[in-house]
Amino acid sequence: MQVDIRNRPSFANLRVQLGAGDRIIAEAGAMATMSSNLEMKTRFNGGFFGGIARRFLGNESIFVNEFSASSPAELVLTQPFPGDMVCTELRGNTLYLQPGAFIACEPGVRMSLGWAGARSWIAGEGLFRLKLSGSGRLWFGAYGAIFDREISGEHIVDSGHLVAYEPTISINVGMAGGIFTSFFSGEGLVTRVRGQGKIYMQSRSFDGLAAWTNSHLM
Amino acid sequence: MGRIAILDRIEHEHEHENRDAEYEKKQHRSESHVLLQRNPAMVMPASRESFQGGVFHASIPGGRSGATLSIARGELIADTISEPSLRFSIPLNQCQIDLGGASNRMVFCRTKEGDLTIFCEEKNFAKELDFQSGGMLAGPLKQLKKGLAADANRFRFWLTLSAVACALLLFVGYFGVLWTAKIAIRALPVSVDEKIGTMAFSGMEMGRKLEANHPASRLVQEIVDKLKPHASIPELKFKVTVVEDKDINAFALPGGQIVVFTGLIKEAKSAEQIAGVLAHEMSHATLRHGIERVSQSLGIVAAIQIMVGDVGGLVALGAQVAQTSILTSYSRAAETEADLEGARMLNAAKIDPKAMADFFEMLKEKMGDLPDAMAWISTHPQHETRVQSIQNHQKKLPVVQYEPLQLDLKAAQDAL
Ligand SMILES: [Zn+2]
Repeated sequence: MQVDIRNRPSFANLRVQLGAGDRIIAEAGAMATMSSNLEMKTRFNGGFFGGIARRFLGNESIFVNEFSASSPAELVLTQPFPGDMVCTELRGNTLYLQPGAFIACEPGVRMSLGWAGARSWIAGEGLFRLKLSGSGRLWFGAYGAIFDREISGEHIVDSGHLVAYEPTISINVGMAGGIFTSFFSGEGLVTRVRGQGKIYMQSRSFDGLAAWTNSHLM
Repeated sequence: MGRIAILDRIEHEHEHENRDAEYEKKQHRSESHVLLQRNPAMVMPASRESFQGGVFHASIPGGRSGATLSIARGELIADTISEPSLRFSIPLNQCQIDLGGASNRMVFCRTKEGDLTIFCEEKNFAKELDFQSGGMLAGPLKQLKKGLAADANRFRFWLTLSAVACALLLFVGYFGVLWTAKIAIRALPVSVDEKIGTMAFSGMEMGRKLEANHPASRLVQEIVDKLKPHASIPELKFKVTVVEDKDINAFALPGGQIVVFTGLIKEAKSAEQIAGVLAHEMSHATLRHGIERVSQSLGIVAAIQIMVGDVGGLVALGAQVAQTSILTSYSRAAETEADLEGARMLNAAKIDPKAMADFFEMLKEKMGDLPDAMAWISTHPQHETRVQSIQNHQKKLPVVQYEPLQLDLKAAQDAL
């Protein structure tokens, strides 16, 4: 299976070329075009209750689509907002994804929805997170450009900008500077990440977009 | 420390077949493996358990992999899940222990140089690691746990504090709005009271209304006309309606709509007693108790309606409240206020306020033999203290020569 990320970084989309017998799992709304010989099956993503919880709290669709090819076929996957996409490969390790970032994965990747906790919520990273583990490639997207950083120790990310991180990394809420600086500068809360592993960040946040839009509506 | 062992990686047989270019490159480097020390004196039993965890090392494609962990002969061993499987190990006495990760339960074991990290968040891993190291790692682990617990407590403290602050802000905001609404309602023109009163009156189910030229209607109207010049809101138009009903009752709606039941006129011993009740009811209107009651009942809804300037909506809702709750009762403070204001009006109109107290006394006496007819008294309780307070208040009022009302109560009663 050949997967290319095209039109990076602003309007990234995935072109998937499947050989006979290839399968790929994609977020329910991600399919833009597909060959007619491709078979599409819709299934629940991580169990019924997980699906319900995700629908109402995790902001991720209940369903995922599984595409399987009996003969060579092509598929294009997109995300609903402009931005970048990246590919990473799991080798028995785990990656936590902010809900909504998931686009596609190979069948060897397992998905489950987990509680991310109050810290994550306050940090603007959502109350739930998608846990991806197993083996295989996975693709996810974000609003704006995506850049990753291999961290060791502590690192500060603006709240709402963390897209994915490994379980070896802890998330904490911090204030940019002291409480007064935070309050008066409007910088507010930041996400403090600590540990060893990789984090993926998006260059733009939806909160930022909302604030910018609001300032132009007044 | 004794012997130096080379233990970094052990290749499995089958891996030799499928090597990619990168793997080849790593293979060359593998001649200069990370050298790890092992204490030969420490011979520990192999752990029967294996754990699911992971490894960070530069030689793994992508730098990391999931791994199956085991502890044997004083070493922590990790076999990567990814193909080809690689083996890494760290002697327990070389292990730089750390605790953290997204769950705050992940145990990390690092080499001194920091180039190899083996981690696991399984429940029994820390215990096993400590056991196999002969208690060597218990101290640092306990210390780390303490640190995390303190951090969690701090976070919980801030979370609680913020929640309390939010609740307080909401609370203050809510009552702030109510308080502002109360002032705003007082600032509304009396015409709003009149609209509410008229609407409530037209929607009420009552007995037959007596004609305006009925002797009883004329009697009541004349008393109101006499009291009207002394009302604290001169522009209020008082409208009296006499309704056929055996109950001894009278009530005022916002804006000056006053309803008197024929039962009350029949039981009155003098026109002055009727004047007492009317003065009391008129005072409810001039003191705007009706609209105050409406704002209390509607609370935040009224506040919002006033703030967005929806007076029409407020009137409609207010009329509904007036119909259902004004008939039941005003607050005790409002009743006392109406008594004293009524006494002032009577005094100014040269009617002895004692008549109001007399009427209460009479009702009290009647209570025994006319339990059904006591509608007014049921909404106007505590008459003993009221009689007392009216009498006390009368002493503070200017001294006037009272003039008996030149009205024929007997004729009005006979016409009913
Ligand atoms: Zn009253």
